[in-house]
Amino acid sequence: MSSFSRRDFLRFLMTLSAAGLSSYLSGCKSVQPTPPPQLTGDEITATDAPNATLPPGEPETGTPVEPTAEDKPLPAEAAYLAVARGSSAGAEELTRQAIAALGGMGRYVRQGADVIVKPNICNAYHGPEYASTTNPAVVAAIVVLCLEAGANSVRVMDFPFGGSAQDAYQTSGIAPAVEAAGGKMALMNALKYQQVEIPNAMALKRTQVYADILAADMLINVPIAKHHSGAGLTLGLKNLMGTILDRGALHANGLHKSIADLGTLVRPQLTVIDATRILVANGPTGGSLKDVRQMDTVIASADIVAADAYAATLFGKTGAEIEYIRLADQIGLGTMDLASIQIQEIDI
Amino acid sequence: MSASTIRKLRPWVQALAFIFFMVVLVAAGRLSFLPADLIIRLDPLLGLTGMLAARRFMPGMLIGGLITLVLTILLGRVWCGWLCPLGTVLDWVPAHTPAPKEKDLNPRWRQVKYFLLGLILLAAALGNLSLIFLDPITLLYRTVTTAVWPALVGLVTGVEEALASLPVPGLLDAIVKVDDFLRSTALPAYQPVFRLGGLAALLFGMVLALNAIRSRFWCRYLCPLGGLLGLTGKISWLRRGTNDRCTACGRCDRVCPTGTIDPQKDFASDPSECIMCLECAPACKMDAQEFRGHLAPALWQPYDPSLRQFLASAGAAVTVVGLSKVLPQDTRTEQALLRPPGALDLEFLAHCVRCGACIQACPTSGLQPSLTESGWEGFWTPVLVPRLGPCDYSCNACGQACPTGAIPALTLDEKRQVVMGHAYVDRNRCLPWASGRSCITCEEMCPVPEKAIQLEEAQVLGLDGQAFTLQRPYVVQERCIGCGICENHCPLNGQAAIRVYTATDLGVDQPW
Repeated sequence: MSSFSRRDFLRFLMTLSAAGLSSYLSGCKSVQPTPPPQLTGDEITATDAPNATLPPGEPETGTPVEPTAEDKPLPAEAAYLAVARGSSAGAEELTRQAIAALGGMGRYVRQGADVIVKPNICNAYHGPEYASTTNPAVVAAIVVLCLEAGANSVRVMDFPFGGSAQDAYQTSGIAPAVEAAGGKMALMNALKYQQVEIPNAMALKRTQVYADILAADMLINVPIAKHHSGAGLTLGLKNLMGTILDRGALHANGLHKSIADLGTLVRPQLTVIDATRILVANGPTGGSLKDVRQMDTVIASADIVAADAYAATLFGKTGAEIEYIRLADQIGLGTMDLASIQIQEIDI
Repeated sequence: MSASTIRKLRPWVQALAFIFFMVVLVAAGRLSFLPADLIIRLDPLLGLTGMLAARRFMPGMLIGGLITLVLTILLGRVWCGWLCPLGTVLDWVPAHTPAPKEKDLNPRWRQVKYFLLGLILLAAALGNLSLIFLDPITLLYRTVTTAVWPALVGLVTGVEEALASLPVPGLLDAIVKVDDFLRSTALPAYQPVFRLGGLAALLFGMVLALNAIRSRFWCRYLCPLGGLLGLTGKISWLRRGTNDRCTACGRCDRVCPTGTIDPQKDFASDPSECIMCLECAPACKMDAQEFRGHLAPALWQPYDPSLRQFLASAGAAVTVVGLSKVLPQDTRTEQALLRPPGALDLEFLAHCVRCGACIQACPTSGLQPSLTESGWEGFWTPVLVPRLGPCDYSCNACGQACPTGAIPALTLDEKRQVVMGHAYVDRNRCLPWASGRSCITCEEMCPVPEKAIQLEEAQVLGLDGQAFTLQRPYVVQERCIGCGICENHCPLNGQAAIRVYTATDLGVDQPW
């Protein structure tokens, strides 16, 4: 028979208090002030004047280690917003064509860059044919383009609200497609969220954002265009909600203003909207094929507001009718005025 | 090989069996080669009571139970001494060993386990499974599922968070790597929480504490499975005996963990009480013990069950079953009594052996043990508590984990059709209804293809006196399956403003 000696007891007590102390210390973490996000030079902040005419894909001000694609002159015909469509091409080709029309992925991805791709993988309920998650072929095409442009790594991530992330990655078809393309699926780990203040916010004064997304060399936003009752539509800006921890608070504090506020903080350098299939009702979850429309369209732009405004037209709406798009335009995140920008539409 | 040599294997066999048991329990079917109910099937008491109460043949439970019974007939109560995970834990915690002259407890206390066994079996025959929570496997399952495992997960998270907050370069990434690995293999993605975890830990602690009175107090006096295997042990083939080399030194008596070696009867032991641990083998210096085969049944002991005791058990069983019928839950179903998908309440109580495999399998910890929702007859049966965790639209794990079919093993498509309850909007709390603030979280979350939660638009006055359009949620009951993700995600603190209650029309037109 074993006996519990005094030494054992003390050891037990030590372990217990160490565990207690560690939990206590971890509780302190959130009160430490966190620095505001590092904004790169060319990004428009909420305090800047609206500058919708800024050419897309402006070179970053950081000093590149190696000669990069940015040193090449901009192709004169590079579009501000590109739309590729056609039923014969397939999602992958549409994606390639749209990005080529913007001047190619090389304009956005530096040699050796660590890229994060943020598709919409909102739940683990249905396969991609139900149009509640981004088309895996679109995501895979972007992964390949990034690697071709010299990216060091391409990580793909989202934070689903229904089912586990792992299940959702599989069910959506995105995990197998990304891995075959040479990218990596990454889980969004709860330890890596960082409390960030949003200066001049309309509603969302502070929130916890995924640290890797703030720190990445490049963020590519790859939403699927679909119906959403509260937001009207879920597109590029709305897709950024997947980068923060507490999404319930957004609903309770004014969804549209919060989405626009979040847009000032999380700044994807490129937004590619998957409209190969769109969900026209019962979004964002979907589940019925009768709500799915085959559109065979991919929209790409460095201007998230312009991309959203264009995608809204696929649903018979204008950007101004979606409040968060209108607000984002108003505070200078981009332009929803499609007449003022150079749009290249490619029919394949 | 001598008995002394074989004895040396016992701690290893126990540890291996324990680890195996824990892996099966914690994985709860997530490892495809380990069925969630593997260990539960080996418990003949669960199989017997389950089949008696449900009046249904359960092949898996029958085969598993027979394996244990045949093992007992061949080798005696080796299940208790070598395999039972609760017995192993009881061997690991300190125990009181009586001094040589210390008066032992009255052996008649050993009858209690037979009384409980009779009570459980007779109540099961009358369709009641309330007392099966006394089974040792369910006891351990319950404790690990709702207390030990959640505490362990919380501890890991706490240590990780503490380390992650240290300003050491590269440390965070290393911890995240470890954490990603742990959460994609062993640990759940979210912290499991249980309302009755403390109670489970307390009950288990009491069982352990009884070791302070006598080693393996639970196994000697209380365990109903021990009672069943003890009765089987009366006809076991392998038994311990003594020969005429015995000098009555009493060494074997002093090391016996179940106290069955009787100095009054030439240091013989009762095969119904002997757990074949072989602790006595090295104690004997005279080679006076023999482990040999026997065919004749062992002697009936004064503490073994009698007709009188059987009648007492029967009386108690009738009382238990009778009292369970005077509870109000049978007249009017409790509003919060949401059963796991596909489990019909009336039949359910006669099928559920309270093992908690479904509770461990549930990834959201929405399945909780019930305390009062279905009266004490349903103590520790699973109920869905959506505020703690919804029924995940992409999951059908509980039905796959259930060993008795109390929760049917539905396919995912079938499960998505099953109605567990209906959601109701509380317009006195709901943000748009009560406060004029926009919120559509419940509608957004609703996973049914044609959303059961719809939004009506109303013109209301804002604080600034300006009229604006507000979306207000309402439930289309015919489409609602009661999964409760709306209740779970409602952004209010405390009670949600949309809640799932038992559906009044359940029991008709169900698809199974």
